[in-house]
Amino acid sequence: MIPVSVNRSEIETGIPAVDASGLPDYVSDAEFRESAARERREKLRMFLTNWQGLTGLILVTLFFASAIFAPWLAPYDPNALDVPSRLSGPSWEHPAGTDQLGRDTFSRILYGGRVALKIAAIGVSVALVVGLILGMIAGFGPRWLDNLLLLLFDTVRAFPTIVLALATVALTGPSLGMVLAIVIITSIPQYARVARTATLTLRNTDFILAERSLGASMSRTLLHHVMPNVVGPLLILAAMDVPVVVTVEAGLSFLGLGVLPPTASWGTILNEGYLVIRDAPWMVIAGGIPLILTTLGFTFLGEALRDIFDPRMGKGR
Amino acid sequence: MPKDAIAGSEALLDIRNLSVDFRTPRGRVKALRDVSFPIRKKRIVGIVGESGSGKSTVLWALLGLLAKNAEVVAGEVRFGDRDLLHASEPQLRATRGEEISVVFQDPMTSQIPVLTYGTQMRDVLYRRRNASTAEKRRMAVEMLGKVGIPDPDKRIDQYPHHFSGGMRQRAGIAMALLTGPQLLLADEPTTALDVTMEAQIIHLLQDLQKELDATVVVVSHNLGLIAELCDDVVVMYAGEVIEAGDVREIFHNAQHPYTRALLECDPARIDDVSRKLPVIPGDIPDLTRSLSGCIYAPRCQRAMPICREKTPPDVARGGMSLARCHLLDGPHHDTAWPPPLDVTTVGQGEASARKPARVRRDDPLLEVTDLNVQFETVGRLRARLKGIRQRHVDAVLDVSLSVASGETVGLVGESGSGKTTLGRTVLNLVQAQAGRVRFEGQDTHNMPESRFKPLRRDMAMMFQDPVGSLSPRKSVRALITEPFQIHGVTGVDLDAEAERLAEMVRLPKPFLSRYPHELSGGQARRVGVARALALNPKLIIADEPTAGLDVSVQGEILNLMANLQAEHGLGYLIITHNLPVVRHIADRLAIMYLGRIVEEGRTAEVFDRPVHPYTRALVDGVPQPDPDRRRKHVSISGEVPSLLNRPEGCDFAARCPLAQDRCRTGKPAHVTMADGRRHACHFPLH
Repeated sequence: MIPVSVNRSEIETGIPAVDASGLPDYVSDAEFRESAARERREKLRMFLTNWQGLTGLILVTLFFASAIFAPWLAPYDPNALDVPSRLSGPSWEHPAGTDQLGRDTFSRILYGGRVALKIAAIGVSVALVVGLILGMIAGFGPRWLDNLLLLLFDTVRAFPTIVLALATVALTGPSLGMVLAIVIITSIPQYARVARTATLTLRNTDFILAERSLGASMSRTLLHHVMPNVVGPLLILAAMDVPVVVTVEAGLSFLGLGVLPPTASWGTILNEGYLVIRDAPWMVIAGGIPLILTTLGFTFLGEALRDIFDPRMGKGR
Repeated sequence: MPKDAIAGSEALLDIRNLSVDFRTPRGRVKALRDVSFPIRKKRIVGIVGESGSGKSTVLWALLGLLAKNAEVVAGEVRFGDRDLLHASEPQLRATRGEEISVVFQDPMTSQIPVLTYGTQMRDVLYRRRNASTAEKRRMAVEMLGKVGIPDPDKRIDQYPHHFSGGMRQRAGIAMALLTGPQLLLADEPTTALDVTMEAQIIHLLQDLQKELDATVVVVSHNLGLIAELCDDVVVMYAGEVIEAGDVREIFHNAQHPYTRALLECDPARIDDVSRKLPVIPGDIPDLTRSLSGCIYAPRCQRAMPICREKTPPDVARGGMSLARCHLLDGPHHDTAWPPPLDVTTVGQGEASARKPARVRRDDPLLEVTDLNVQFETVGRLRARLKGIRQRHVDAVLDVSLSVASGETVGLVGESGSGKTTLGRTVLNLVQAQAGRVRFEGQDTHNMPESRFKPLRRDMAMMFQDPVGSLSPRKSVRALITEPFQIHGVTGVDLDAEAERLAEMVRLPKPFLSRYPHELSGGQARRVGVARALALNPKLIIADEPTAGLDVSVQGEILNLMANLQAEHGLGYLIITHNLPVVRHIADRLAIMYLGRIVEEGRTAEVFDRPVHPYTRALVDGVPQPDPDRRRKHVSISGEVPSLLNRPEGCDFAARCPLAQDRCRTGKPAHVTMADGRRHACHFPLH
């Protein structure tokens, strides 16, 4: 049903004021609880019947589980050398074959997942938090600060990640910490941009003005009233950002700029496999599959979440 | 259905047994159930109802433009020999625009901002293959002239943002009529407009309908508009047609208890301002549940046991009149129903709304003197480069006003009059350029926030948008108790305070754990009141306290505010454009026009003997909910000028029917009359 009057806040903030479905005005509390529970069940049902959402959830769970439980799941020590059976093809003993030093590729992939998870978890969460804070300050603070921060974000974004990484590594030498730092610095701007735009639209809404009229301080307004409304889209962005971070890590490691051998990482596996691609193609294939699946999983999950929580962006049901 | 008899030749469109469901995460909402009524040729038909009544759903169902989660369960819509509900999309597309067209609520969002009116109107005529572009343009210019747009041949090349709100709605009507449709649908055509514009649009629609012999359907919640404009009226409640008939029948001889109650709740109909406003207790039923009996029974004053069990009959009374009620026919027929018009059927409220005479005018709580607020329009550098000398507009100009404890002052004006800016300046949310704001004798304007903060405990603001002014991710409990945390009030039990405040605004306790989007407008408004009252303020500035509320609910909020005032001696500054409401609650009125107060005085006097021609136009401009009191002429023409080109002389001169040369050259000063009223007019009416 079309509401009687145009709800300004709805237009400005994109937060639906009243469910536009003609939900009745007053209902008793029990009925309300019941219908709220029904809505939650329905949302869950929508998520689970959405093939993207379900596939994404399964792949992401698989990624987390395999990385966390790698020491128990891995049949061999990832760094244990077994030179006699080097470059052996897939078999029951070595499901994904062995590399040129005879290390079990499957075990190395599981351990490589740990590196990917570590980079993704730390990189994305630090970038999200810093981006959120900077974005809210840019959106809520004075105009000059906004301009200054925007200039900073755009400068960072203008740098190609790989070139930045090459330059930094040339100065400091490759390490896991360096990869992390590069990943964080290059992804902060996109979080900050989204947070800033959301804050700007919230800034002039009635409820922020209402907080000011009550005497709420700026930090209180930002922390209690702006942040909860900004963080949602950022979380969805984060889900979609994980594959980017994982690929950047793999890419840098592939180039020898990231994780140092002998530590197993999907990038180093690909690198080592690339050298022997004619003799042992399974290494490149086995190293690429988890990368593809993780990327797909997080992308599907992010899109499904966005469809459900922000139906306006979705295909429309 | 007895209507079928008349539906044949006379009806342009016949809606039969229309039922529509919405699939929502909360279950199926049975939004329309068995809706049937004819739309007679060459009549203006009004569909009236409160929010959730399904009135707009009917409109979109006719056009096949329902939301994607809607499902037409049953029914048909006969339009000539076609059934629109089951027509194919190409057929519907051929019908929409050509035979049935729509005027939307908000011309701002329904017109294309990047195309000129000429292009948009040419597009409307895209089916006329044999007409040349020049021919189409000629038709468009002619239609723009017809809807009262001056210089149509020049203005047709302008964009929507060049037009003012009222002009835009006129252009919207022109676009809808361009194809010469048989049926014009108007969805809340005046809701986004000011009172004076509303009157103009009403007359325009009436004139055009006569001239073009068109059939018009108007959907509105505004009883005044319906009474003023329509020939036939359909009253909807919670997805059902509960009464239909000739406009005079509905307004003078309403049969259904709901129609009766709705009319009685309209403040414009209640002349006795000493009584509290009536309300219809209860709420619209949950349409996701299975329904039995009369849909209105839970709120009906005359409900009988049978009402909850058996669906009442549609009792016809000749013509297209019918009402759906057990009182009118069958074993429970009551010959004494409906009672005469002067008998009230809804609760009368407490006998007196007069508050104890505790108003102390000599010692005002709030005193605003010669306040000026300017907004920068052009940056300093750009102004220098472009040679613009006037870098500011005066949003508030030389305003003086006072509010005493226990007093209610109404600040009335159209949009752009600066009334909201004034309210915000008082609360130090906007900087003032000149003048003084005193609160309890203390100079407060432009005070640094650190010094002003303690004063915020004593003055609170209620915002226009009840839901939008509540932080969306906070529970009601957190929202209500937030003032205590902001001001570091310690030693109070926050849970107990939340319950006390909820009790005070009569919000049931379970609501404390809900979130703003889970509240209705009325409930959200209560939360707003509770928040404002949390720290026992002395002054409340209420911006459109009844905006977005249904007629049957707004009385509740106003009565609540009046009770709280009597109890705590609060001073209210009520900012509104709603004259009928302010007449009931305000002790004094200040009328604002283009940032200046043009008249100020006691409410009754301002209404009975307006001094300023603008005040008189406003008072006359309110549509009366009585089809026998239709206005013959529009009391005021034109629109509020832009602040950017404030007239040289009196701001109102361009629209004033009594303007003389002096008005166009010199600004009238504020004059205090013998009886204490103030005005700014060279030629006062009294």
